[in-house]
Amino acid sequence: MKYPALLLFCVILSMACQAQRFVTRDAQISFLSETPLEDIQAESTESSVIFDMATGQLAFQVPILSFHFPKALMEEHFNENYMESERFPKASFRGVVEGLDPSKEGEQLVTANGALEMHGVSQDRSVAGTMVRDGDWWILETQFEVACVDHQIDIPKVVSENIAEIIEVTVRAELKLK
Amino acid sequence: MRSLNKGVLLGWAFGLLASMGNGSALAQDDLMDFFGEDDQPTVVTSAFKAGRIINVQSPETSGEGEMNFIIAHRFGRLSDGWYDLFGLDNAQMRMGLDYGITDRIQLGVARSTFGKTLEGNLKWRFLEQMKGGGSPVSLTGYSVAMRDGLRLPDDGIVRKGVHRMSYVHQLVVTRKWSPEFSLALIPSLVHRNLVDQPDRPNDVSTMGVGFRYKLNRRMSVNGEYHYLLPRPIEDGLHNSLSLGLDIETGGHVFQLHVTNSRGMFERAFLAETPGRWQDGDLYFGFNINRVFQVRETH
Repeated sequence: MKYPALLLFCVILSMACQAQRFVTRDAQISFLSETPLEDIQAESTESSVIFDMATGQLAFQVPILSFHFPKALMEEHFNENYMESERFPKASFRGVVEGLDPSKEGEQLVTANGALEMHGVSQDRSVAGTMVRDGDWWILETQFEVACVDHQIDIPKVVSENIAEIIEVTVRAELKLK
Repeated sequence: MRSLNKGVLLGWAFGLLASMGNGSALAQDDLMDFFGEDDQPTVVTSAFKAGRIINVQSPETSGEGEMNFIIAHRFGRLSDGWYDLFGLDNAQMRMGLDYGITDRIQLGVARSTFGKTLEGNLKWRFLEQMKGGGSPVSLTGYSVAMRDGLRLPDDGIVRKGVHRMSYVHQLVVTRKWSPEFSLALIPSLVHRNLVDQPDRPNDVSTMGVGFRYKLNRRMSVNGEYHYLLPRPIEDGLHNSLSLGLDIETGGHVFQLHVTNSRGMFERAFLAETPGRWQDGDLYFGFNINRVFQVRETH
């Protein structure tokens, strides 16, 4: 008798938790490498994001192979030479959102503190962004920089004039209540 | 089953306690579950660096809107020694353009000094190797039509334009076993409308194998071997064996190699290789692949 009661309690509690979850599987992430010689841009619309309003936890998962470039060769070099996508197929961010008032309408400036992992190397980051509540949705936007060297992404000298050492990343995610 | 259920329940209970304690352990597990669900099969790309392993086609095609310009040189016999500077005095050339209509279909034209041969070719990677479900290999079809451009000998035999033509059809079955190692099986069919000796067959088949092993992110060792399937007569022709090195520098791929085949189009190296490695009939050569994006995509 004890177990069914506990189970029921768990189910109710997990449902209560579920009600706080906001998710998407098609967040947009783009990046820009800017040098005097060449600008390289790529975009992915296949990232998954989950935000737990009760705990403030925020997690991103980004399939590296989903980034598309205007030139096929750029995409091949990105996957083969820099990101090594077969060995490290996903980048991720796991952290906690701070400075958010869930009850407030309109745009809020927030900070996400956590670990950014790409190319198999994890870095503790504090990233500022905005969050907007719109009914069952949270719209999340941020822009931040990633230094290739922080994630052991080597840029050989031959192409150092074509590829920036610091990459600008732009994120927009529309999270829907699950 | 019963004990398993109990275990699961206990797990839940602990998770519950933990989540009440700091509000994270249970949630963290669920976050992972959410990501686990979107593991879709992905296409395995870049089994080889260039469109050719050395002589033979790899499964790679020019990307959509990409024009690949390939300049290939094949020098004279290494065994010619100092007089011909080990063959360097004696270069053959092949210039080719490969255009990607889509990311998987490529059209090409090329001209070789060897036999003054003009060729048109079509390559289609019609099945991709998948990771996490799907095909374990990629399949690529390649067909080439070659036109011999040499002046006809004045020997009284009447030849028509069609007699200059020969064709090769092949299937490239590739598996990228690891980021470093790729292996390809390449059966080929060679058809010649006219052969140069009466006892030679018009059709010849070969079974080929090719590989690449990546030494680092920019260099790989490549090799290929084509076995001539039994023919009705002893024709003094040999199997083609080539070993090479691929070096990638940004927009170029350089391919250096040593081979016993001098012709750089399919009919010549598959079906008409007269020399053998053990007799010193070796040729040094290189391909330069340069990519131009002539039409932007995405």
